[in-house]
Amino acid sequence: MNRPLMHHRYSSDMALLNTRAKKVAMLALLAVAALLALLLTDDYLQLLATGAATAIGIIGLNLATGYAGQVSLGHAFFLAIGAYTAAAISGDPHGRTIGLGITSILVWLPAAGLVAAAVGALVAPLAVRLRGLYLAIVTLGLVFVGGYVFGEWRELTGGSGIGRPAAVPELFGVRLDRSTALFTRDQQLYWLMLTLLVLFALAARNVARSRVGRAFNAIRDRDIAAGIMGINLARYKTIAFALSSFYAGCAGGLLFCITGYLTPDNFNLALSVVAIAMVLVGGAGTISGAVLGAFFFTLLSPLTKALPSLVPAVTDDATRTPNIFQLETVAYGALIVVFLVFEPRGLYGLWVRLRSYWKAWPFSY
Amino acid sequence: MRTVATRVRDRARATPHRVAMREKHLGLWREIEWQSYWDSSLTVAHALLSLGIEPGDRVAVHAENRPEWLYTDIATVSIRATTVGLYPTNPASEVGYLLSHSGSRLLVAEDQEQVDKALAVLESCPELEWIVYLEPRGIRSRYHHKKLMSWQELLQRGAEHRAAHPGAVDERIAAAAQEDIATLVYTSGTTGPPKGAMLTNSNVDFAIEASLGGGSYGITPGGKDLILSYLPLCHVAERLLTTWYNAGAGVQVNFAESISTVQPNLREVQPTILFGVPRIWEKVLATVTIGVQNATMFKRLNGRLWLGLADRIGHRLAATGGRHTARTRLAYAIGWVCYYRALRERIGMRWVRHALSGAAPIAPEVLRFFMGIGIAMHEVYGMTENTAIATANRPRKVRLGTVGVRLDGAEVRVDADTGEIQTRHAAVFAGYFRDPEATARAFTADGWLRTGDVGEFSVDGYLRITDRVKDILITAGGKNVAPSEIENGLKASPYLKEAVVLGDRKPYLVALIGIEADTVADWAQRRGLAFTTYRDLTEKPEVVELVQDIIRQANTHQATVAQIKKFRLLPKELDENDGELTATQKVKRAAVATRFADLVNQMYGGAR
Repeated sequence: MNRPLMHHRYSSDMALLNTRAKKVAMLALLAVAALLALLLTDDYLQLLATGAATAIGIIGLNLATGYAGQVSLGHAFFLAIGAYTAAAISGDPHGRTIGLGITSILVWLPAAGLVAAAVGALVAPLAVRLRGLYLAIVTLGLVFVGGYVFGEWRELTGGSGIGRPAAVPELFGVRLDRSTALFTRDQQLYWLMLTLLVLFALAARNVARSRVGRAFNAIRDRDIAAGIMGINLARYKTIAFALSSFYAGCAGGLLFCITGYLTPDNFNLALSVVAIAMVLVGGAGTISGAVLGAFFFTLLSPLTKALPSLVPAVTDDATRTPNIFQLETVAYGALIVVFLVFEPRGLYGLWVRLRSYWKAWPFSY
Repeated sequence: MRTVATRVRDRARATPHRVAMREKHLGLWREIEWQSYWDSSLTVAHALLSLGIEPGDRVAVHAENRPEWLYTDIATVSIRATTVGLYPTNPASEVGYLLSHSGSRLLVAEDQEQVDKALAVLESCPELEWIVYLEPRGIRSRYHHKKLMSWQELLQRGAEHRAAHPGAVDERIAAAAQEDIATLVYTSGTTGPPKGAMLTNSNVDFAIEASLGGGSYGITPGGKDLILSYLPLCHVAERLLTTWYNAGAGVQVNFAESISTVQPNLREVQPTILFGVPRIWEKVLATVTIGVQNATMFKRLNGRLWLGLADRIGHRLAATGGRHTARTRLAYAIGWVCYYRALRERIGMRWVRHALSGAAPIAPEVLRFFMGIGIAMHEVYGMTENTAIATANRPRKVRLGTVGVRLDGAEVRVDADTGEIQTRHAAVFAGYFRDPEATARAFTADGWLRTGDVGEFSVDGYLRITDRVKDILITAGGKNVAPSEIENGLKASPYLKEAVVLGDRKPYLVALIGIEADTVADWAQRRGLAFTTYRDLTEKPEVVELVQDIIRQANTHQATVAQIKKFRLLPKELDENDGELTATQKVKRAAVATRFADLVNQMYGGAR
């Protein structure tokens, strides 16, 4: 006879997976996710790996925007810092661009995160002084500054339109971006990204329910009230930006491993906007929502790519109208509008709604 | 000599690390093992010895149900003194009466509120020497009365005494006698002041044996059973279920946080044995009714479907005495998957294997509802004076509308002349404390206990109770009417909380009705009916119309003389502090009739 509501220890009260059903479901989900690598073809795995890497970055943005309420349009900038740090550390020392030749992911991944976090902490004082729309505009400025710096700093980035090779994922001497005897390149990368996503998501979830996470929520709901409650605003906003940038840096480093190449043009305003869209559509202020949003948008593009074969009027030729790229942009916009109006809690909100419907069974509350 | 204290001691020796009880502390259910239970009780017993409590002295407890209540009770019994329970809701005047009448030498008071009550009436209680408080908040370093002592100090004293005289309590335990008064249980007193029923060690022992054996209630409770302790422990029924079941069978006691958190606590604890007074069952029924009505359309339709089926199952089970037929079993199995499992989980009765209703009469409709949703519901009968031992419905032999058959070893008879139920067995009390007159009145010439209830036995031994002797109404037409049956029929409606039927020596029956504030407010909201206070709600014509319909419905089941011709809604909720309810929330009929005499007169005014 189980009594799920009768807690004898706080650990059982606080457990993330507090019922057997949740434990089983989570294990099954992870098992299915891991086994997908054996079932799907490489192009799908690449897409899923991209989704997982993106999700790490979106979790980071969600920590700052969804949890701490600090709207940031500068996420592309932090992604870029992480991506270039990782690329520079693991790059070829004799190549055209800067490279230190340290290819171990155990070195460049934390480094990418830490450099981005450091820059985030430098930017944080802006957030302490500003909020809402002003903060959004200021962080927008970062993207333009970054765009200029990365475009001109050719030794690091290879320059606009040319680019450079991305970070090299090597773990314990094994190059994961090259197929081995047992597994293909994409299977390995997928597993890498999936593992990292689980670790990063778990860490973020734990931060969110700690003292820090509660401080973030208080600041989001009303920073003045939070300050009066004794929350050190400067400190927690700095933590929010640093943490968020750390995640973005790591995601930036990982994301371009998959394609193997990056140019400064990748990090434009559109990337920042899509990141915000992922947070909003997924569900602001939840880790699962961030993951959902990242995968949703990543998997949207193969859908739109399949459109020309279904609807003859749509082409995949970017010079003609209507083409899939235009439709994709329209779809992003429409999704943001629809979700903000009808389900502000995003995809995760839909899930919550479904879950509470059955949780309240047989009553409504 | 076996007392409730030796039972606890023996259990602590046999199963020291089993869970004896749980109490909720800062959100966690803290477990107390048998060893710790006995150890704490022993320390308290030593403390009582060190304070000079002699055999036969009274120790009063004025607290909500909590482990300290049990420690004090067991400690008191172990040193051959007598426990007196006070209702937490008792007002100061009542506290004064009970403390002085019982002559308690020590009072264990829960918190500042109860200490204040005791301090206010200290002058009328010359025998009271110590007031021990459990919760120091508001008392420590603010109150400097010389009789005050904290629970910690008491334990400290006990520990010192225990170190100095390790065998002192054992000597007292060894000297215990059958006829030692284990506890004084003050009856709620619907008429006149409360009377202290003296229950001896042998009364308690018989009550435990009679209620635990498989032959009496029909189940054998054990260490795997859980109960929720939420009714006042000074009431004999809760004492039986909490302290005595626990000591006698090792049933795990879980203390509810308070009477108002019973429903959430039920959901957490999910007890296996559940005792409730009619008010509790009616309240749960109302919760379900409202829950279904307020659900979204699909859930509402689904709820109606399965509750409709439950109603049919309930009728079938009522006819078979609680034995499933193949059809009801199948129907219930399907309903279990779709509805009943979740419903029972929600109302905290998922694992209830034996439910008991007692302490007041209940409408059969309410019991049938619970039987329909799969809860083995049994109405039982007993009273303070016979240590709650008289009759019970047994599993699979339930007859609704009756209180069941005699418990093993209990003699129950119905007096041929007056129709009064009388009992005689080893758990019949030793008399009222300091009240030989009342004691004499309580017994017949041949030594049977008068229960004061009127009833009759069916051919096969099921006892049906009509009403209290003194509540029976005789109308102007000379017909006898039992008001409680009519009232319970009315109270089965989720919208009615109280019903007082009047009409003694009057041409027709009238009723004072108290509406159930929650459900009627909800009903009004769904109709877009604006209201402000309880009183305002009772004055809405729509609400009067609602009640009128319920009464009209109830009247169709009654003979003409027993039909209610007129009614008025009570303008306020009845309250213990206003003297309208007893501590057990029973209506004091006479007090209500007097207080609302103008309403009653109005109803008879037109037809003089």
